[in-house]
Amino acid sequence: MDELRMTDQKIWPPRFRKWSRRERDNFKIGMLFLLPWTIGFLVFTLYPMLASLVYSFAVYHARQPLEWVGLKNYIDLFQDDLFWTALYNTLYMVVIGVPLTLLASFFCAILLNLKVRGQAFYRVVYFLPSIVPTVASTILWLWILNPQAGILNTVLGYIGIHGPNWMSNPAWSKPGLIMLGLWGMGNTIIIYLSGLQDVSVSLLEAAELDGANWWQRLWHVTVPMVSPITLFNLITGVIAMFQYFAQAYVFRGFQNLGYPLNSTLFYSVLLYQNAFQWLKMGYASAMAWVLFIIILVCTLLLLKISDKFTYYAG
Amino acid sequence: MTTIPAQYPDPRLTQTEESRQRARRKNVRNFFKSLFSHALISFFGLFFLVPFLWMLITAFKSNEDVFHTPPRWLPYDNVRVEVNGQELPLYNVITPQGEKQLAAVKIVEGVGTFVDPQHPDRVVEYEIQQGETKIATPVMHVSFRWQNFPDAMNRASRPSVDASFWVYFKNSLIIAFFTIVGTLLSNAPVAYAFARLKFPGRDILFVIVLATMMLPYQVTMIPLYLFFNNFLHWGDTFLPIIVPAFFANAYDVFLLRQFFRTIPEEMCDAARVDGASEWQIFTQLVIPLSVPVLATVTVFTFLWAWNDFTGPLLFLTSPKNFTMALGLQDFQSQRTLVWNQLMAAATVFTIPIVVAFFFAQKTFIQGIKLTGSKE
Repeated sequence: MDELRMTDQKIWPPRFRKWSRRERDNFKIGMLFLLPWTIGFLVFTLYPMLASLVYSFAVYHARQPLEWVGLKNYIDLFQDDLFWTALYNTLYMVVIGVPLTLLASFFCAILLNLKVRGQAFYRVVYFLPSIVPTVASTILWLWILNPQAGILNTVLGYIGIHGPNWMSNPAWSKPGLIMLGLWGMGNTIIIYLSGLQDVSVSLLEAAELDGANWWQRLWHVTVPMVSPITLFNLITGVIAMFQYFAQAYVFRGFQNLGYPLNSTLFYSVLLYQNAFQWLKMGYASAMAWVLFIIILVCTLLLLKISDKFTYYAG
Repeated sequence: MTTIPAQYPDPRLTQTEESRQRARRKNVRNFFKSLFSHALISFFGLFFLVPFLWMLITAFKSNEDVFHTPPRWLPYDNVRVEVNGQELPLYNVITPQGEKQLAAVKIVEGVGTFVDPQHPDRVVEYEIQQGETKIATPVMHVSFRWQNFPDAMNRASRPSVDASFWVYFKNSLIIAFFTIVGTLLSNAPVAYAFARLKFPGRDILFVIVLATMMLPYQVTMIPLYLFFNNFLHWGDTFLPIIVPAFFANAYDVFLLRQFFRTIPEEMCDAARVDGASEWQIFTQLVIPLSVPVLATVTVFTFLWAWNDFTGPLLFLTSPKNFTMALGLQDFQSQRTLVWNQLMAAATVFTIPIVVAFFFAQKTFIQGIKLTGSKE
């Protein structure tokens, strides 16, 4: 979280002066150590960034030369129904999926932090699904959600609920994907768990002596103490959700991307479709930059709002 | 609920009857509290455990059992008997003489040819179904079909393709191996420079490193695709996936730097006084002290490379170059699905990671905490 504060000196505003001989030598050695990153940054990050910015102002089909069109891609984008559908689907996952995941993983972390025997075993059980490869877990959930032979609707049937047709009903495909996400939230649980273990015991005991009940201790001590972790999980969760791709790509089975009825057409899926199925590379680059800006704005917004609800001890 | 742990406090401390009762009540309360905790953790644990088990159970099911409705919680298979040197499935058949167990030789268009296992020469034909009533139903028993695993691994993602899941598995291993090598070689020196070297411009460069974490892959994806395919002509090879790993990445640089900073500065200074060069300090002092964190990087790189879907999807086009992730997705996109084989392949895909997890559990958890929490 303190990424920008993590360096030793102030870096802004920069101070310009002539380097001493020693500084020049140090700089040379430093740059030698940094060589792998420098080359990688220039070739695999900076160049593609600039190139995609250029493409985003052009019509580009990979084989033909660039055709400069100015802001046309961006204007077209905002008039493209699919763009708004994809944005809606993605925001659905960001607004519902991410907070739900945080809440559920916090709850699970509390369970796994209870002082009972066999906790090591329980922790493995909760964590294991998160290391199942994405493609495997998505396929597994397609099978679980299968309307004929799936176990989810069978289990729901035990308690008298007639389960929906998860994969082919546009209203239920995204909740199905959220469930898949919840299944694999072990990482978030572990991060919360380590946060819970850092919550000072003396603070909790002091609250108990003051007559605070379980809920009050949770709400007034534990939740504020882990709020920096919540912020971290929130921001990484939001960033990852805006780029949600592999699960949606696999989830459609043999159907078109976005099946059923474009309900799983997420932003990155539409971007992929534009770039590699319809070869509208310029248009897709414009989409990528809009995505970048959305992510930046969301992150900064969250950091800004977070000042009010996060508590940094010490 | 008959046994209550009888751990009474020391009798010398609990003199009165009243305090003894209080202690007993507390024990009872603690017992129910822990029982309730176990029940709660187990109940929600089912959500994580059952799908995982369902993958394994399905992987062992027979073709006849996969689409059985309602689904059965254990894998079932036909009971088979040997008749005239052939393994034949056993059926319960309602014959005019009453119900009999007969072996099915073949079932074509609703008409089954059956043979009595006791009298191999008596061959009879019955219609499987007459109106509403089923005449012949297969006899099933609980049986784990191990054959699904070789069947799944020996097949390709689609029938027309000349490859197999063994090839995909091998491709995944090759990519993971070189990605790990590249990551270890390239990130450590960079992280060392950011952690322990002092030179002008270091901090601004580090901010740039961290800023690249914010950049979504989608922004660089298209130019990289064109660069690798059209400029370097690396299309349909592993190179576009492996080569970038040799040029450091922000996450591992950050992780390693955080660790290198915990190595006492005085040790490096002492070595410097003794005339060691920065490269010597790095290779002979810092690296040997960093084995645990390098193990973390190795494990997570393996996890990431093994799991990666987008990279292979963009760059690998011919099935002989598919990775497990890609092969599995291709398999799944077929119209007719053999779910038991699909789950068997998914299980094989998952096993290396689960094995790695059980060997390096601490490393896993440590890595998540290192990347996931504040400094």
